[in-house]
Amino acid sequence: MHKRISRLATAGIAAAAVGVMLAGCTPASSNTTEDGKSKVVFWQQKFEDYQQDWFKAQVAEFNKSQDEVEVELLVVPADTWDQKLKAAQAAGKAPDVKTTSYGNVKPMQASGQIADLSELMDADAFDDIAENIAPFVTVDDEVYAYPLLVEPSTVLFYRTDLLAAAGIDAPPTTWDELVDDARTLTTGDVYGMNIGQTAPDLGWSSWGLQYNVAGDFPLRGDWSEASADDPAYEDLAKFYQTLYAEKLMPQEATYPYADCSFFGEGKVAMSACGSWALGQLSANPDWAGVWENTAVAAFPSSDGDPTAPTSTLGGWTLTVDAKSKVQDESAEFVQWLLADDTDRLVDFFTATGFSKYPARVSVTEALAATPEAADNPFLATITEDIVPYAKAEPSYPWDVSLAFATSLEKAMRGGDIPAAMSEAQAAIEDVIKKQKLAGTGSD
Amino acid sequence: MTMSPQSTNRLATAASVALEPETTAPARKRRRGVGRLSTHVMDNRTAYVMIAPMVVLLGIFVWWPLLYSFYLSTFEISFYEEPVFVGLQFYGYVLEDPDFWHSIGIGATYVLYTVPAIMIIAFLVASFIRTVGRKVAGLLKTTVYVPTVVSAVITSVVFVFMYRADGGLINWLIGFVGLGPFAFLSDPELALPAISVPGIWLAFGITTLIMLAGMYDIPQSYYEAAQLEGANFFQRTWFITIPLMKNVLLYLLVTATIAGMQQFELPLIMTQGGPTNSTMTPNLFIFNQFKDPTPYATSFSLTAALILFFVLGGISMLIFRLIRSDKAIDA
Repeated sequence: MHKRISRLATAGIAAAAVGVMLAGCTPASSNTTEDGKSKVVFWQQKFEDYQQDWFKAQVAEFNKSQDEVEVELLVVPADTWDQKLKAAQAAGKAPDVKTTSYGNVKPMQASGQIADLSELMDADAFDDIAENIAPFVTVDDEVYAYPLLVEPSTVLFYRTDLLAAAGIDAPPTTWDELVDDARTLTTGDVYGMNIGQTAPDLGWSSWGLQYNVAGDFPLRGDWSEASADDPAYEDLAKFYQTLYAEKLMPQEATYPYADCSFFGEGKVAMSACGSWALGQLSANPDWAGVWENTAVAAFPSSDGDPTAPTSTLGGWTLTVDAKSKVQDESAEFVQWLLADDTDRLVDFFTATGFSKYPARVSVTEALAATPEAADNPFLATITEDIVPYAKAEPSYPWDVSLAFATSLEKAMRGGDIPAAMSEAQAAIEDVIKKQKLAGTGSD
Repeated sequence: MTMSPQSTNRLATAASVALEPETTAPARKRRRGVGRLSTHVMDNRTAYVMIAPMVVLLGIFVWWPLLYSFYLSTFEISFYEEPVFVGLQFYGYVLEDPDFWHSIGIGATYVLYTVPAIMIIAFLVASFIRTVGRKVAGLLKTTVYVPTVVSAVITSVVFVFMYRADGGLINWLIGFVGLGPFAFLSDPELALPAISVPGIWLAFGITTLIMLAGMYDIPQSYYEAAQLEGANFFQRTWFITIPLMKNVLLYLLVTATIAGMQQFELPLIMTQGGPTNSTMTPNLFIFNQFKDPTPYATSFSLTAALILFFVLGGISMLIFRLIRSDKAIDA
């Protein structure tokens, strides 16, 4: 789940959100167009520019390809997405098809918001979904979302030139090494490391590290008991605290975690960021000097085990609304876009600059065979060293992640670590009780 | 402060004098066979007809949504499945949620940081504008009004840049006296005071103009008389300006306090409620709750909003009680 919230980019929120909450925002719509076609409203969350271009081109092509269904695309900024969607649902005007992150599929399924696609699409469309992705979208053998892509949320980006100048010949493989390297690399103008530092960012960017240090998330099993008091998480809090307290990382969250601008601007020598930052870094001509010296590695694990997870596998799917009056037509569009033509998706993944990865086996194979993939220096590292060991995002309510992250942030900014962790424990226990989570966990 | 019995008597007399013609005039027009009671009924009818549109509008746009919200808050609201009736359960959840009370505390602290500053600065500026000539006053009035028309969103963005630890204007300035740099918006101790500054900047202009309007209403002769008696500026302010502007000041105090408690855009854009929830104002807290896709979050944020409504109403009542409001005693 990308919470691509930037302080500056939030500029639009206030006005938009208030308007949305008051008015429910979406114009009145019927399910047929003026010329009698079925109308499918499709909301796409705004991502990097090339994604909007790709979706627009595909929708235009789909609309031209037949005369039964007309898809209407609306690009919605990430910052206003949640409120706008909820307001539309309240007004009974939810989009027929929408982008949905893996983390939201199960909560939405549980509250009956999304339709079972296995009833609506051809059965063989689901056979092609990669084995490690299928569980993200499946509940009791029913598939509630069709996956588009996966992307590891935590990758280590580093500057080969700065590491070489500091006499460091390889990226760190343990947290201790990372902290030591960050100390060496921190000079007057450049911080050694950059990592998420605000609770909303820590909430999701630290999932992989939570898993790494404790072997699981702070809410485990069937979600009956909180585990934030697992002493292992104190090591995680200590790791963040050291980086922050020793000023080895920027002291101000000028950019949110999902935005790799600190690295692009040359203000940090190493940075944790999602794989999507490859697309961001390569696309900015001002950062060409940094981009030439950029390399990626799996984020170090706490003890140096390269097979231990340090990243979650986030990503995006398309879902069909449970109340949509044009479910068949919506599913037809989803199938056409994501499940049929492999070339359509190969084009997409090539456009991403190999910063995102297919969720379908046949697309992965087709992509690997392209000359662009063979030339890409990052693809192998990410697909071989990171993706196979990454974990699924937790599907419990965001409140749990935010409660843990708030404590992590307190610890990071110098708070007492055991006290912060017991605060998280109490907060998560409260969420379990009030949101009746006990026994609803899936593993 | 209460009014003297003398002035109350004077008002009472004035009121009875003013009402006298109204009570006698209809009596003269009274038709034969129509009793005193029916006149009242007629009068009442006219009054009812005149206030009816407002009552209907208030009913549609205020009372019905409010009552319906209370009704909804007794359900776990789902837009997809049958809502589940849970009674007052969510009221309990909100009231025992430490984060909700923490946000109320943040709102109250923000009010403490901003409202006295707004009131004092506005009073001083208005007093000053009152003393200058017409042309200069016009220029000053326009100048102080400018922040009011600047959007809070734009102000937030500008202040974020000004507060930046690397190259922000404020850190550059305090650098000259050997301080800083401070990461204002990333320090839990500094973030709320830092947000208060644009809050004060945005609100003091309109407050100044309202105070100025109140000051212009005070007859100049009072000041002249006081001056003849030898009262200095502070005595004139204390004994004439402030007592005669009591209602204006009270109005400003209540509206500024409520607006402060409801501050939303500044922390949303400048800090997103962080660091460590140190700028999580009540409305931002409710807004964040609202975003989650679960039915729990929907009901919780609705209930929290209703409770906040009572909290704000309570605060307004408290202020009105502490500073007893009377009608203006202005002659």
